[in-house]
Amino acid sequence: MAHSVKKYRGLMDWITTVDHKKIGILYFAAGGLFFVIGGIEALLIRLQLMFPKGTFDILDGQTYNEVMTMHGTTMIFLAAMPLVFGLMNAVVPLQIGARDVAFPFLNSLGFWTFFFGGVLLNISWFTGTVPDIGWTAYAPLSGQEFSGTGSDYYAIGLQIAGIGTLVGGINFLVTIINMRAPGMSFMRMPLFTWTSFITSGIILFAFPALAVGLIYISFDRLFDANFFVTATGGNAILWEHIFWIFGHPEVYILVLPAFGAISEILPTFARKRLFGYSSMVFATALIGFLSFMVWAHHMFTVGMGDIANALFGVATMLIAIPTGIKVFNWLFTIWGGKIQFTTAMLYATSFIPTFVMGGVTGVMLAIPPADFQFHDSYFVVAHFHYVIVGGIVLSLLAAAYYWWPKMFGRMLNETLGKWSFWLFFIGFHLTFFIQHFLGLWGMPRRVFTYLPNQGWDTANFVSSIGAFFMAAGVIVILINAIISIKGPKAPADPWDGRTLEWSIASPSPEYNFKQLPLVRGLDAFWLEKMDGKKEMTPAEPLGPIHMPSPSILPFFMSLGLFIAGFGFMYRGYEFESAFMNNLFGYNIIAIFGLAITLVCMFLRSVYDDHGYHIEVEELQKEG
Amino acid sequence: MEANQEQVQDRVKRGRIHEGPRNHIIAFGISIFLTLLAFMAVANSALDATFIKIFIVILAVFQAVIQLAFWMHMKDRGHFFQILFLATGAFVAITAFIMAVYWVWW
Repeated sequence: MAHSVKKYRGLMDWITTVDHKKIGILYFAAGGLFFVIGGIEALLIRLQLMFPKGTFDILDGQTYNEVMTMHGTTMIFLAAMPLVFGLMNAVVPLQIGARDVAFPFLNSLGFWTFFFGGVLLNISWFTGTVPDIGWTAYAPLSGQEFSGTGSDYYAIGLQIAGIGTLVGGINFLVTIINMRAPGMSFMRMPLFTWTSFITSGIILFAFPALAVGLIYISFDRLFDANFFVTATGGNAILWEHIFWIFGHPEVYILVLPAFGAISEILPTFARKRLFGYSSMVFATALIGFLSFMVWAHHMFTVGMGDIANALFGVATMLIAIPTGIKVFNWLFTIWGGKIQFTTAMLYATSFIPTFVMGGVTGVMLAIPPADFQFHDSYFVVAHFHYVIVGGIVLSLLAAAYYWWPKMFGRMLNETLGKWSFWLFFIGFHLTFFIQHFLGLWGMPRRVFTYLPNQGWDTANFVSSIGAFFMAAGVIVILINAIISIKGPKAPADPWDGRTLEWSIASPSPEYNFKQLPLVRGLDAFWLEKMDGKKEMTPAEPLGPIHMPSPSILPFFMSLGLFIAGFGFMYRGYEFESAFMNNLFGYNIIAIFGLAITLVCMFLRSVYDDHGYHIEVEELQKEG
Repeated sequence: MEANQEQVQDRVKRGRIHEGPRNHIIAFGISIFLTLLAFMAVANSALDATFIKIFIVILAVFQAVIQLAFWMHMKDRGHFFQILFLATGAFVAITAFIMAVYWVWW
């Protein structure tokens, strides 16, 4: 019998799952956890800067640098990335009418490598050597000479987490190319799927640059190489180039799925189809291309020369064109629509002006002569928080409220949702709008304190008050999430949606679609509803469904890398006991960790696992 | 899954019959010939060094095209996405290279 597959329960079910919906929830849980950790770090920063030096100093300079570094690193790599991936996992296979992603095993591996990388990075808080080099880890500050073991945590932790992202990106590319339902051509794909596709493509080309850069810095630090050591012929500026060749596309990796989510939510709640669908697709692809051609605008003050600065400045301003196309399309989508202001829609509509403000300061920063003034001031801090919080976080929250019923099968409370929105939205603008002016008044970024009576006291106080509002907003969101466990059960189609995910039960069954749907156009489910049908026309007869078996191997593969990471980090470290010195000095821990990973890979290669089938009788029994 | 098998069989019927070793032998011959040419050019002391450099780079481009088209099956049908992603990757890498060399270090 094909039914001999072992079914796990409880914790083992979550560790072994290869189901994209459960992995999506895992990404959400882990991303949410790191978001809260990063948020606490942000609050510490704002508490420290609330008053000038001498009144209320809770952090010293070193601790401030650590908190600031970990805030940035955590929020980008460990909060925003997994939340985006969680959303892609939860939504993309359903939107294209697939039963899972192309490589369910790899999907699980991607999650666990990300998770263990993130845990490794945060363990630095307990070992007492926290990264203190900023999230950009510029050489030579991040080299052997100027920083301690904390920088190893940065390099190794991000290296392991980066594997997860790359694996996930490739998985989604293959899924979207190969697993679309019959009739779903590329130009019938929902825009969230399109943006996930382009984002995965950017990941494919950008993350190798980060991996290479991190290997260089690890070799510099652990094996005395000299890629970035000027004294022995290395080039410190090279790190900046490598980091930003990855780092700038990274911004678009995060923001494109956010754009996609907005493009799903606005048509649903304005009850109109998306304005300019094909121009939206074109703009997304164009942003993807341009994202690789602008990295040096982070380095205008490095001294690249007038020509390089001017060309990169112009290239950067070009991005405003496809982004502008998107903004106008969103405006025309809601223009004249029958708008319902649900929580998701509130977040989505507030995203538009907020993101435009971040974009405008972006164009200002793209002008090299002006950038020489803005550089390293709070103006830059205000700009990227408007883009990342105002652009990405607002739309991720909108997406969370929108797709929550489909992911968890429960409705979120709308009243609490609106409270959370207003607290977060007001808090956000209170915190960051004034920081533009702090920058223009001369306050430098990355300082742990400032002297009183320079005209910055009130503005910093206001900014910190805003941070508390944001924290209150996040707490309300968490309360809302927790009480939704007992909340009302979600119907299959709570928002009168347009795309395929709303044509199946909430939460969707493990096989997603009993029969793969036949797609007849853009907004496939809406088309059927307009023809007076209640569900999609099936494209295949009812038959047994092939499912992948759960596996514990991805967990142990990642655990092996995690252990090996510690082995490499502490191989040159002076422990108090000779035993520990031998254990790490002779690479025993590193080899042990890599051995775990290799044995898991061997087992995966040697033992064929054909999965199992869900038979027709079972499908009929479930109705 | 059964639908998938049908699709595969359908594709086989439509003429993706195995074409035999002829193309591979020709491609192999061309590859060897190009490699020989490169060696001969470098070994020949009568030729100008600049000419040799340009010549073997051109040979390398041909070599790469043959490798991709015949051995990596890029000439066969159903390889649109492989070509698209290779081209995009090459585009990104070459753009970054040109920008770094001619814009930044110019």
